[in-house]
Parts: sequence; structure tokens; C-alpha cells
Amino acid sequence: MNRGTLPIVARLQSLQAVSRFVPGGGRIIADPQDRNPLAQLLRAANETVLARSLRFESAAGPSLTLDVAGRRVLRLTDATGLPGAESCLGAEALEDEHKDDLIKLLQGVAVPRHELRVVSGPIGRGGEEVSVGLPVALLADLVLIELNDPGQDESPTEAAPPTESAAPVAASVTGLAGLAEALGPTLVAWLVSGGNDDGKSDGPDEMVSHLQGFLADERDSLDQQLDRLAASPGGPICLILGTALVEGHSILCARVDSALLLGVVEGDAPRATLMAWTAVMR
Amino acid sequence: MGVNESLGAVVKAFPQARLVAFADLSSRMILSSAGTLSTTQEHLDLLCDQARASFDDPLFSLSVEAFGEPHSAVVLGPDNVRVFLRSEFEPADAMCCICDHSIDLPAFVTKIRDTLESITQGG
Repeated sequence: MNRGTLPIVARLQSLQAVSRFVPGGGRIIADPQDRNPLAQLLRAANETVLARSLRFESAAGPSLTLDVAGRRVLRLTDATGLPGAESCLGAEALEDEHKDDLIKLLQGVAVPRHELRVVSGPIGRGGEEVSVGLPVALLADLVLIELNDPGQDESPTEAAPPTESAAPVAASVTGLAGLAEALGPTLVAWLVSGGNDDGKSDGPDEMVSHLQGFLADERDSLDQQLDRLAASPGGPICLILGTALVEGHSILCARVDSALLLGVVEGDAPRATLMAWTAVMR
Repeated sequence: MGVNESLGAVVKAFPQARLVAFADLSSRMILSSAGTLSTTQEHLDLLCDQARASFDDPLFSLSVEAFGEPHSAVVLGPDNVRVFLRSEFEPADAMCCICDHSIDLPAFVTKIRDTLESITQGG
């Protein structure tokens, strides 16, 4: 067992969670009761947008390793206990002529009534550059498998549906200085850098000066930190960071276009900021 | 109460919380999750990375310098609200949540803080 996995599995057990992870960093994707392990295999491959190597292992014995990227199977890099794998193994990139052989191999490893697990790892050869390969959706069509389970059409980055109890919003807020004004006295000190409101600030001189010095030194790395949270580089984002958030002081950092607001919020930071931010985003 | 039941209770109390997950930030792994939002493994990995990014420099250092070590982060995006809490007792233990904008954030933060510390001390 991978030494790094041991404490995690032990922790899961102590938490009384049903562990779907297995030693070696793998995941169980189909158990013996699963009626269609091939569907789970294809869904696992279809989930993989980034270039990765996926090793599928059946409890019945056979295994195979695929390089996948962008919901496409780029190549077969290993096959054990599966006859007829030569043509696919020899291909630098899988093409249409390989699809029937590949499907037979996938069916061979997705053995009904046996546990199927997948281990994900870094891709062996350059995957990002390869634009060929076989779309997982094509393979699924050929074996009459629906890749999307009912209700699995949402992702965390998609917009949430409107709800009846929508948060109240400020009537009209424009730009980051507008955000600061909407927050009112809750925002005890703030400064805007960049954009139309560049240089606008309010609050005790000592605090504003401190924020100014921080931005002068850290603006680039701050943008990098926000990029890790935004939907896209340079995208709008607002981060509140604090010890408790609902009381005491918190740091507020908001970015819209090239403008960035850095401030200090006192008291109930989430409620006040959410209202103002919603108004800015309208 | 196991972690699954604890997370499920949060979702039941706050339907606007579309995903509530318990994570080990040190191993970058979501250990358990609940909610109506269907996610792939890549989405869960990304959420865990975003939790780590929230508690990273340079804002982490600014917060430490000003008020002490931060244990809570709220990320407001155009489409959702993400809430990340680190345990005060086991900093690697964290809650990672995706919510609608309509959620009562103060009440939600209080609830998941209690849930996190309960899981950490019970697990």
C-alpha cells in the first residue's frame, strides 16, 4: 500500500465514510453489483479533460492503461491479460480504424460482476499537443452507453439557478469604488489600484498606507493568487479572508477587469460584501 | 454521527448549499461530500486546490500580520459563493462548499464551523 494513502484510508474509516479509494491512489468505479462496468469505465475516461494516464484494473485479472485528454482516448500504452491488443498498442495515436479493437479490449477489462478500479497518473507521452485520438463519446455511442447519468449535467462552475429567497442587493453599484461605498462603514479602510477608480481610498491614513505598500510589493503575486480562484485568468473575483468572518476583522480583496480593491472589513464581512458584490456583478 | 451524515445534515439545513465537502488539504483530497451538485473527480480536485489557494500567500501573510492566522475564506464569483473553512485544531482538515448567492452566509459559516470541528474531533 502506498504509504501516503494509509492515513487517508484509516481516516475515512474512522469517519465512517464509505471509501471508494483503494491502496495505490486508485478509485473503485464499479463494484460486483454494478450491471454495466463498461459504462463506468467510459464515464471515468470522459471525465478526464486534462491529459492523464488511466490504468483500469479488473478484479478478474485483466488490466489496461490508456492515455486520455480532452475526453478523447489518445493511445493504449499497456494491456495485460487481454488478447488482441497488439494493433492498438502499436499505434502512436488511436484512429478510427482502431475503434473496434479498442472496444473489445475495454469490454475485456470491464468484466461484469467484478470490481473495476482506476488509477490516475501523469501521462507518459505528450498529451496536450495531440489533437487526434478517439472521442469517448464515439466509443460510447458504438456500445449504446449514455455517458451522462440523469441529473449529472451540472458542474461547479456553472451558474446556479435563481431561487426565491435571493439575497437583497444594493440598487446600483458601479465599479470597485462603488463596491466600497455600498459596504459603507463596514469597510474601515480601502484602496483601489488600477481601472477608472485607480488611487481612490478611504480610512485611517496609517491603514491605507499599509495597504498601499502591500499592493506595491505584491500586486503581481496577488493577481496570481486570484487567478487560482477565478473562472479564468483576470476574471472577476472577490475573496474575504479572516479568522472568523462573522466577527472581528477580515481582509477583502476584489478584482474586476484590471482594477483591484484591497480593504479591511469589520464585523459581518460575508453578508455585507455579498450584497454589494451581487450588485456590482449585475 | 459519521461524516456523511454530518455533511448531509448541513445540506438539509441549507438547501442553497449545493456542495458541502470535507477535505484533507495536506493530501489535496476531498474525503466526503454531500449536496445536489453533481461533480466529477476533477471538479473536486479543483475545489480542493482552490481551498489551498485561498489560504495561500500573499493574502495569508497580510492577514497573519494584521489579525492573526486566517481560518475562514469566502470566494464570491459571478455564479456562486465558495466557502472554505480550516479547522483551528487540525489545519489540514477543511470544509469546502459551493453555494447559491441567496444563502444566509453568517448562519451557514457558523453551522459549518461547528460541523468541521465536530468531524475533526470525532474523526
